[in-house]
Amino acid sequence: MDMRHPVSLFVVFVLTIILLAGSSYAIPAFSRQYGTSCSTCHVDFPKLNDFGKAFKDAGFKFPKGDEDFIKVPPLMLGAPAQKDMWPHVIFPGTIPGMPQIGLRYNQFFQYTSGNANNYYQPSGAPGTPLSPTIPRTDFEAGLFSIFMAGNFGSDIAFWVDDDISVSGLNANGALGDGYLRFGNIGRFLKLPTDALALRVGQFELDLPFTQARSINISTYDIYTQANIGSSSQNVNNQFSMADAVQGVEFSGGHQYGGYHYSLAVVNQNTGGGTVSSATNVSSPGGFFSDSNYKDIYGRFSYRFNLEKDPASRHDVQAAGATGPRDHTYLNLGTFFFKGRSVQRFNGLTSGGAADVLTAREPFYRFGGDFSFNYRTFNLFGLYMYGHDQDLLLNSGFTGFVSGTPAKFNGGFLEADYLALPWLMAILRYDHVQSTADFLNQADSGNYYSPVGTTRDRVTPGVQFLIHANIKASFEYQFRPQQALTYDANGKALNPFRTNTATGALEFVY
Amino acid sequence: MKRTLTMMMVMAVIAMMSLAASAGTISGKVSGVSGESVVYVDAIAGKTFPAPTAKPVIDQKGLVFQPHIVVVEQGTTVEFLNSDKVAHNVFWPSVGGNKKLTHNLGTWPQGEKRPFKFDNAGAVPLLCNVHPEMAGYVVVSPTPYFALTDKSGEYKIENVPDGSYTVTAWHEGAKNQSKPVAVAGDSKADFTLSK
Ligand SMILES: [Cu+2]
Repeated sequence: MDMRHPVSLFVVFVLTIILLAGSSYAIPAFSRQYGTSCSTCHVDFPKLNDFGKAFKDAGFKFPKGDEDFIKVPPLMLGAPAQKDMWPHVIFPGTIPGMPQIGLRYNQFFQYTSGNANNYYQPSGAPGTPLSPTIPRTDFEAGLFSIFMAGNFGSDIAFWVDDDISVSGLNANGALGDGYLRFGNIGRFLKLPTDALALRVGQFELDLPFTQARSINISTYDIYTQANIGSSSQNVNNQFSMADAVQGVEFSGGHQYGGYHYSLAVVNQNTGGGTVSSATNVSSPGGFFSDSNYKDIYGRFSYRFNLEKDPASRHDVQAAGATGPRDHTYLNLGTFFFKGRSVQRFNGLTSGGAADVLTAREPFYRFGGDFSFNYRTFNLFGLYMYGHDQDLLLNSGFTGFVSGTPAKFNGGFLEADYLALPWLMAILRYDHVQSTADFLNQADSGNYYSPVGTTRDRVTPGVQFLIHANIKASFEYQFRPQQALTYDANGKALNPFRTNTATGALEFVY
Repeated sequence: MKRTLTMMMVMAVIAMMSLAASAGTISGKVSGVSGESVVYVDAIAGKTFPAPTAKPVIDQKGLVFQPHIVVVEQGTTVEFLNSDKVAHNVFWPSVGGNKKLTHNLGTWPQGEKRPFKFDNAGAVPLLCNVHPEMAGYVVVSPTPYFALTDKSGEYKIENVPDGSYTVTAWHEGAKNQSKPVAVAGDSKADFTLSK
């Protein structure tokens, strides 16, 4: 076994257990199970309130006295007294008393500014038709998802969500998250409650602010930022923070107060996340890794609850004069991701024979984040930096020389104000700085042909809960400047913005 | 002479009525709705009652107000208990439809009680602002003559002095119905409510 990397042990571990995965939205199944409203856990679903965070931390259970709240009793997979007979019997667990299934559907209407016409530039011979590509207005089917989550007893939680249909096309669907989470395993090591949990499967990284469960219609630009080097660079790293990853994750602490950490060992995949089926070696689920390396993601955060009264400060929710509410808090965090992009080339040995050359380009992402909450006002932001080492083939094709690293940075700042329990006002600012994107004059996320190395976007939004499970959202994107033509110095000519207004209507049940 | 006789007869009837503090009952059935209803005798002009001493408790347990409906006499102090390991709240948007009487009891820990004295008559819809599905009712009767029906709508109000009263039936989500009832011994009053 290759012991150069401590992660090799995890690789073996991952390959020797059955992979199950999980992570995403408001869960109507929990509403049914506990006979309670969405708003017990959510403000403007899928955004979690403090109680929802505690429910999730506890492994999809009420943090205290869960059995007192379940309206549909779980089904026993073994009498509890069977525990005493273990290992001569299967350890007794439970399954939820009804299938824990929730469904979500959303649809959109988009209005695109007239600047979209700028894309209709002459190309090809005179007389040949040009087809318009960007409609001014458009009704769009969104995604139809099924999601399941719950608890199997023994602090073992599960989650599976899958987009059955995306944009009206069944073939576009994909598994979101699917995992088993072994909660509170620190008890075997006499650690404090909730100090250690293990999650195995496919999941969204433990991002400071979730993308998969974001309330926004558009994604955070920095989360979808891949790092594709410019023509003088060899970097071709399609990994982005929003990608689902496969692996194992250790975590602990609480999201509603105090410390929280996670450390994940996940597949290296910088090739775009595609699953390749094996030709020479069979694999039960297709290969997700595109190298032998395993990447590491870590996060640490600390949340300072700011209530004066210590009893209230340490509780799941703060005690307000007119009822329990979310804490006033300041959450500070940091995160890093370390991977190693691998590309193989046909090269030569020093003797001139054909050879396979492997470029191993280490990359990292790291950043910091904060979230400040006062009553129903939440201001949060994230900044991160990405760096990919760049290896270029030497002139003899016998090896590599170091080139200029490919770098980017950026983040976002967002203010959420829940003006009324059913009315959320959002103002968001996204910023990405990438020299390579500008030099390539193209980028991911449809921010094609930027006019400079930075892209700024301002996105005000408003969302209405028609019912606790039905939401109408509106978003206006002041999009980054773009250009189609550049002068000899690379300066953009006639820059323009293709702003868009998007409305979304979604429901879960 | 005739007028005097009439006067005497009226006085006699009044005297008999007041003498006939002999306890009667009002019983009957509330129909048109399903589940428990409340029937009470409306305020009686010029009549006051001693301050009630009972202190009923309404529990919040398993994200449910228990019991769902409590009927009390005006001036009763109700104690609100939280038996859950989650935080709850109790507030009401109105008393007897009067939104000026809205009140919020705030937050209190598990196992503790918070009292409130209901000095205004009418139905009080109890809500919790963290669990919007939670609902309960305190129905404040202006007189000590009230009853909670059984699930089929049957009720019996005991120890009602003979006399003429207005009797009101209340049901969650239905329109109140009031009717005059002359009580002389065991009396009957049926109600048909509609939403
Ligand atoms: Cu409650």
